[in-house]
Amino acid sequence: MGFFLVMKAEVVRSLIIMRRYWFATLTGIIMGYGFLLALVLGFFGGYVPIDKVMSVVENILGFIIGMFAFGIIGLFTSGLQGMARTGQLEQVCMSPHGLVTNFLARSFVSAVTSILSLSIVFTLVALHVGGEFHAPVLPTITLLALTYVNLIGFGFMTGGLVLIFKQTGQIATLLRLGLLLWAVFATEEIRKLPRAAQWVAHALPVTDAAICLKYVMIQGQRAMVENAAGELVPEGPYLSVFSPSYPSFYALILSSVVWTLIGISCFRYMENVSRNKGTLGAY
Amino acid sequence: MVRLERVNKIFHTRHFLLADEDTGRRTLYRKKTVHAVNDVDFAVKRGEIFGLLGPNGAGKTTAVKMISGLVRPNSGAVYVDDLHVERKRLKVLRKVGVVLEGTRTSIWPLTPLENLAYFGNLKDVKGPVLKQRSRELLNFIGLKDKMNVQVRRLSRGQKQKLAICIALIADPPVILLDEPTTGLDVQSSRAIKDKIIEITREHGKTALVTTHDMNVAQELCDRIGIINHGKLIACQPTDELLGLFAEKTFEFHLNRAPDLSLLRQIPGVEAAQLLDGEEEIVLAVTVARDEEDRSAALYGAIQCLHAQRILLRSITQRRQTLENVFLRLTGDTEPK
Repeated sequence: MGFFLVMKAEVVRSLIIMRRYWFATLTGIIMGYGFLLALVLGFFGGYVPIDKVMSVVENILGFIIGMFAFGIIGLFTSGLQGMARTGQLEQVCMSPHGLVTNFLARSFVSAVTSILSLSIVFTLVALHVGGEFHAPVLPTITLLALTYVNLIGFGFMTGGLVLIFKQTGQIATLLRLGLLLWAVFATEEIRKLPRAAQWVAHALPVTDAAICLKYVMIQGQRAMVENAAGELVPEGPYLSVFSPSYPSFYALILSSVVWTLIGISCFRYMENVSRNKGTLGAY
Repeated sequence: MVRLERVNKIFHTRHFLLADEDTGRRTLYRKKTVHAVNDVDFAVKRGEIFGLLGPNGAGKTTAVKMISGLVRPNSGAVYVDDLHVERKRLKVLRKVGVVLEGTRTSIWPLTPLENLAYFGNLKDVKGPVLKQRSRELLNFIGLKDKMNVQVRRLSRGQKQKLAICIALIADPPVILLDEPTTGLDVQSSRAIKDKIIEITREHGKTALVTTHDMNVAQELCDRIGIINHGKLIACQPTDELLGLFAEKTFEFHLNRAPDLSLLRQIPGVEAAQLLDGEEEIVLAVTVARDEEDRSAALYGAIQCLHAQRILLRSITQRRQTLENVFLRLTGDTEPK
C-alpha cells in the first residue's frame, strides 16, 4: 500500500516537472538522439554499411540499456547524494513507509519514464541508420521488468554505501560508466570465456539483461548462424527467450533475485549503520 | 508525550592527516570521539512548548534527530506517545512532524500545494483529506495567495512557513522545530513564532523547539532545557529559569559620579559600580534580595546621593534576561 502511495506521489511529481520543464525534457530527448547518431555516423564516416547495420543497431541497443542502467543506479548513488545535499533525504527518511519502499517506488517511476524516453531515442536512431528491430510485447516488457529488478538490487547495494560514505557516489559513477560500456559489448559470446570469467560476467547486473534484450529485439529470438560471407546472422530456428533451452533468461531471473536480496539486505543494514553514525539523511 | 530517558549519543570521527591544534604536526590517522548527548533526561508534556537551548554543537539537533528516528542513541530510550522510537520507528514517524534546519526541505520546482500533495502521500495522507488539509494549512500559515507559486520564487520566511506546513500535513500530535527562525528577518521570525504558539494553544499540539536565539526561547517556550556540551544543565519553566540568578540591581541615572565608598557602606547594598553611559553617569547598585533590607538600601542610596548634591534623573530596575541566565549556566561571562 505504502509503495503505491509513494509511487503515486512520484508519478505526479515527475509529470509536473516534465510538464513544467517540457522544453528541457524535449531537448533531453533530442540531445540523446543527436549524440548517439553523431557517435554512430562519426564512427562510420557518415554512412553505416548495410552489412554492419545489424551489429550497429545491436550496439545502439546495448548503449541504451547501459544508459538505463546508468540512470537507475545513479538514482541510488548521485541521486541519493544530491537529496542528502539539499536536505530532501531527511524528509524521505522520516516517511512512515520506510526508506526502502520510498526508493523502490521512486526508482520504479524513474525506470518507467527512462524507458519511455530511451525507447524514443532508440527507435529514432535505429530507423535513421536503416536498421530494424523486434518488440514483442510480452517478452520485451518481462525483460525490461527483470532488467529493472536486476539493477535496483545493485542500486540498493551501492546506495547503502552512499548512505554511510557520501563520497562513494563518485566511485559509483565510475562503476556505472563501466556497466554502460559492458552493456554495449555483452553478448552470448561470453559463453566462450573461461568458466571463472563467465561467472564474473554473469554476476554483473546488466549482463544477462543486455543479452536477453538483444536476443529478443535484434535477433528476433533466433539463434545466430554463420552465412556464406562468414558473418553471424540471426537465421537459426526460432527459440523463445522463455524456453528452458535458452539459459540467459533464467540466469537473468537468478541474477535479479540474488541482487535484489543482497541489495535490499545491504541497504537495510547500511541504513542502520548510518543511523548509528548519525549520517542518515545528511551530507 | 515526548520522553528522553538517560539518552547518550557518541559520535566517532576519523581524520586523515589532521594537523594538531597546538603543535601543528600532522598525524596520518586519528579517531576523535564526541559525546554529543550525555545522559539527557527530559519530558515534554502534551500541549507544551518546550525549548531546547544551547550554543552551536551543544547537541540540540542530535536530540531532535533521535526523537525523529534519524539518529540511534548509544544508550537510553526515547519515547513518543509512549512508543519506543527504536522499536516502533515507523509508527512514531506518523506521530511526529519535523522541521529541520535549512530551506531545501521542500521541492523547489513544485508549488506549495504540490509539495503538500507530494509529502502528504509520503506520510500516508491521501484523497480529499489531503486536499482539504493542504488548503487549510496554507491558509493558516498565510501562504494562501502563494499556493500556486513555485517554491523557488518564495522568500526564505515563506519557505520556512511551507516547511512547517509539510511537518503538519499528517496532523501529527508532536512537532519538532530545529532552529525555526534562524536567518529570518524580524517580521518573518515574529510570524513563525506566532504560528507555533497558535499550533500548540489552539490546535493542541506539543512542540519541541531548539534554538540558540534567547528571545525566541523566552517569548515562545513554556519550559526550557539548557544543553551544553551534550549535557542538560537546566530544565525548568521559563519564569523559574529567569529567576535563577535574579539579582536586584537598580540603575541610577545621575549628572555626575558619586563617591562609591559611601554607597558601599549602606546596609543592604551588596555592590555599587559605575557603568559607561553615553551622556550621563549610570550607577548600578545591587541590593539585598530580602524585601525589607532592599527597601532600606534603596532609601539609603537615594539619601546618600542627595547628601552629595547629585542630580538624580531616573531609577530603573535591571531585568533578568534569559541570555544572562544562559551565559551563567554555560559558564561564560555575563554581559553588562
